[in-house]
Amino acid sequence: MRRLLLIACAAALASGLPALAHHSGAAEFDSNKKINLTGVVTKVEWTNPHAHFYMDVKDASGNVVNWNLELASPNVLIRNGWHRNSVKPGDTVSVTGAQAKDSSNYGSAGVIIFPDGHKLSFLGAEDPAK
Amino acid sequence: MMPRFGLLLLVCSLSAQQAPQPAGKTGNIGLYRNQKLAPGGPAPKLADGTPDLSGVWLGGGASDADVSNPKGLKAGEQVVMLPWAEEIVKHRQSKEDPEANCLPAGIPRGSPYPWRLVQTPTHYFILYEGNIHSYRQIFMNAKHPDDPDPTWYGHSVGHWEGNTLVVDTVGFNDKFWFDYKGHPHTEKLHTIERYTRTDLGHLSIEVTIDDPGAYAKPFTTVGKATLMPGTELLEYICQENNQDLPLLTGPARGPGGQ
Repeated sequence: MRRLLLIACAAALASGLPALAHHSGAAEFDSNKKINLTGVVTKVEWTNPHAHFYMDVKDASGNVVNWNLELASPNVLIRNGWHRNSVKPGDTVSVTGAQAKDSSNYGSAGVIIFPDGHKLSFLGAEDPAK
Repeated sequence: MMPRFGLLLLVCSLSAQQAPQPAGKTGNIGLYRNQKLAPGGPAPKLADGTPDLSGVWLGGGASDADVSNPKGLKAGEQVVMLPWAEEIVKHRQSKEDPEANCLPAGIPRGSPYPWRLVQTPTHYFILYEGNIHSYRQIFMNAKHPDDPDPTWYGHSVGHWEGNTLVVDTVGFNDKFWFDYKGHPHTEKLHTIERYTRTDLGHLSIEVTIDDPGAYAKPFTTVGKATLMPGTELLEYICQENNQDLPLLTGPARGPGGQ
């Protein structure tokens, strides 16, 4: 039961609004504005209060748009198995999450999927056992 | 009604409060997964018999989402605001929250980041990882100055009552919020924190909040901290890259929107 609960918690925290930052996630992101982006990482900011990575994504017209994607703080990520180069410039990744309420190219990265299938989440490795 | 996500967070948070575990066990503590857990056992003491509260802890003395949530209050207690305070809570905006502006949380607001308590014969220190990366000084067996300058953490003096560390603080400024909802206070705020290490891995924290400038009567919050024996504090400089502020919209509310 505990294992199921932990999986549920991890999944919810990974796919819903970013939680437990230094501000209300619900005030910044709209859980109804789902994003599903694939592109190439251009920059990583391993900074507080949140880590960010930027990604070039082609829109429907073929134009390249640079997205700014937010993660938890490095402090949370480090304790949950991330390294500062877990996502790095040049990586091709797919990201699901929620877009900022102002509809800019800014979002919270819920789950990040790499070409080899491994996944990371807003808070850490999706499966901390890996 | 608490949205589902908020409820889930609460369940996740509660599930993270572990019972004493055998040595070598790992589990979740707050947001942190697969952490080393404290083994079971009694609360330790220093060589002179003083309870030993030192260590890295996670958790605080009150709900940082909403200090008036009955689940975070001593049984039978209520938060009764004066009319001006009720009015200000109705109008506060998320982007005005000092926490979102990388300013100190004050007392009793907690955070998702661990903190360390350090005991010396004359001073106890609370070192906060976040938010913000700061510290408190507790002057043991001392007196408050007659007219302390108002500050974010106030002036704290401590003494022991049996196994409980009692920390009395006055001299606060009126700038911090008690929680994400924006519960206010005035410079008349007086807090009494009671820290009791109930076993090796857990700390009970009660905070009595007395502010006749903002509340009709004092109230006492209850919280718990969990020892994180496998971690050290990390740097957390919130001011470095706070991109969120311009994007925050709407009324002050909890992390999950509640």
